[in-house]
Amino acid sequence: MEEKKLDSIEKKLDNTEKGKRSGRLISGLKAVLVDSTWPVKLSLVVMGLGQIVRKQVIKGLLYMGALAAFVIYMINNGIEDIKGFYTLGTVEGDPWLGTVGDDSVMMMLRGILAFVIIGIFLMLYKSNINDIMEIEKRLSEGKKLPGFVKACRNFMDRKFYKAALTPPIIGVMVFNVLPIIFMIFIAFTNYGGDIKPPKLIDWNGLGNFRTILTIGKLKDTFFKIFRWNVVWAVLSTLINYFGGLFLALLLNKKCVKGKTFFRVFPIMAYALPGFITLLAFKFMFSYGGPINYYITLNGASPVGFLDIDAGIKARIIGLFVNAWISIPSSMLLATGILSNMNTDLYEAASIDGATKWKQFTKITLPFVIFSTTPVLITTFIGNFNNFGIFYFLRGHIICDGYFLASDTDLLINWLYNLSIDNEYYGIGAALSLIIFIIISIVSLSVYVRSAAFKKEDTFR
Amino acid sequence: MKEDKKIKKKRKIGKLSFDTVITYIVLIAVCFIFFFPVLWLVLASFSKSGSIYDLEGFFPKNFGTDAYRQLFTDTTMYDYPRWIKNTLFVSVCSSVLGTVMVILTAYVMSRFQFKSRKGLMKLTLVLSMFPSFMSMTALYLLMVNFGMINKLISLVLIYAGGAPMGYLVQKGYFDTIPNSIYEAARIDGAGNPRIFRSITLPLSKPIIVYTMLTQFAWPWSDFILPSLLLKNKNLWTVAVGLMNLDETKFTRFAAGSIFVAVPIVTLYFALSRFLVQGVSAGAVKE
Repeated sequence: MEEKKLDSIEKKLDNTEKGKRSGRLISGLKAVLVDSTWPVKLSLVVMGLGQIVRKQVIKGLLYMGALAAFVIYMINNGIEDIKGFYTLGTVEGDPWLGTVGDDSVMMMLRGILAFVIIGIFLMLYKSNINDIMEIEKRLSEGKKLPGFVKACRNFMDRKFYKAALTPPIIGVMVFNVLPIIFMIFIAFTNYGGDIKPPKLIDWNGLGNFRTILTIGKLKDTFFKIFRWNVVWAVLSTLINYFGGLFLALLLNKKCVKGKTFFRVFPIMAYALPGFITLLAFKFMFSYGGPINYYITLNGASPVGFLDIDAGIKARIIGLFVNAWISIPSSMLLATGILSNMNTDLYEAASIDGATKWKQFTKITLPFVIFSTTPVLITTFIGNFNNFGIFYFLRGHIICDGYFLASDTDLLINWLYNLSIDNEYYGIGAALSLIIFIIISIVSLSVYVRSAAFKKEDTFR
Repeated sequence: MKEDKKIKKKRKIGKLSFDTVITYIVLIAVCFIFFFPVLWLVLASFSKSGSIYDLEGFFPKNFGTDAYRQLFTDTTMYDYPRWIKNTLFVSVCSSVLGTVMVILTAYVMSRFQFKSRKGLMKLTLVLSMFPSFMSMTALYLLMVNFGMINKLISLVLIYAGGAPMGYLVQKGYFDTIPNSIYEAARIDGAGNPRIFRSITLPLSKPIIVYTMLTQFAWPWSDFILPSLLLKNKNLWTVAVGLMNLDETKFTRFAAGSIFVAVPIVTLYFALSRFLVQGVSAGAVKE
């Protein structure tokens, strides 16, 4: 009750804060546009000019150079690129007539790039104004202006976080964000199948989503795979999590001697590169593999454990192999958590006469689950999107009743089959977005609930 | 009264030892399950004949080191030494670059309070919810369009560029370094770059080692990206190469696997102390 009140008060405060912020924005704009000195106005019109007037020549020239580069880029490419982003090409290439058509994919890429460049330019422009305002403030206070080298050094010290974060942010932007944005756009085009450059690609709204969720074979495949995917994710997460916990508890027992020795084997399994394990298991269960060797030894005919008609067998093997690979890491995790645990609780519990099982369910389990909720979510997501297992065990198998997928494939495997093997890029991208939505719903709901859990302050 | 207690104690001991026996049996069984496939691979790699069909179940008929010799001499079809060289190049480069990126990100996120900090953290969380494959298809298309396909360096860039996304474990480590150390340095007049160089780096050796290992192991065993971006046989990494060996080349596959697995497994064991720390550091909430 009281908390709610507090919350609402906080919210009110937040709102007034927001109001203040917008008020500050207006007064800030006024300070820059109206009340400012003339060098600021110069910099408003031409980036860096004010700095040059104030004898900050190198900085001013750098700003001016950036402005010049931006203007040249916009005139030469930028405007065209943005237009191209909307049309995605109007001229179709024809090898017979020798006409060079528009490359829709490249046009989309260039369009995205143009927006990025405009964004960067706006940031530079803002920093330019901040800079000249700072200069004017210092001058009006009668302080000396630092030279270029010194200014750089000051920046490195005071804005260390900016300097240090720049390379990682560029890396993530280029190799994570840009591709994701690109794919989000692709999801709303008809790119893929027969339609790829030199043919023209076009925007088609929610067409791909409609195809996946409502049309014939694709719909059937999607829902079949989805159901199995959920079962798989829940089962394998439970198996791996409790398997690891069980193993850690066993190794944590006081009566076990030679813990390091026993720990060697799971760690070895953990350290073995995943593809080796997976390929080895594929060989183990293959027709000529050792397991079939022993089956045929007794005169029986070999079993296709991972074959096209394997059905439930392949699924169980998948769960087993995944457990083999993942239990060691969850064991390591649980070991770490258990070693942080306060043993007083147990003593108190045993004085109160709690049984071992009760101690486990009332103390160990809540503690471990509490401290591993984030990891539990990531393992769940990892299992939901576990590509490797069935790619290696049953790659390139397409089952009856499925569109380019097998009955063990998860959504992520289907995504691979669609977009990489068969170049259905648009549908693949739409499928990725669907996966993203599922994942975010799951993790958000867990996060919200675990946040509520956190409030109770059970363990802190 | 006294006797009663004694009996109780005795029974407890009996129960305990029974419990211990069961524990040991389960442990040995589990360890056997983990150990057996590895043992099988090791044995198979020392088989004299090459195909999986020539083994007697899990065990080879004749032992020899032919598989290992073939790996390095018979390179016309499967150029194993070259795969190793490629993989080493990619792994070492992306390990070094990626570690720098991750450490910088984690350090800044842990030490500095700035306006966009929470936003950035949320952004990485959202980004990690997209299926990794999604960006991979896009990267493939991008690389094709920019002519970066069939280049080892583009692999390095992708691995190292995406590395900062997994900064949480390292951030957890930096969070444990007490603030007073930094304050003392500040009072002594050290600037931020200097603090990073002469205080943070020496203090964070374990986490740097851990990061380098994980950043090394990922490209070392990744197969999706190389098989997407490297269409040229001469550029294959070990993972892609070994994927292309079929049942008749089974012992060669086993030998090749053991050969690349031994260094990485050894590394893991040498650093297993850090591993437990690293894995559990990521689990502790803010």
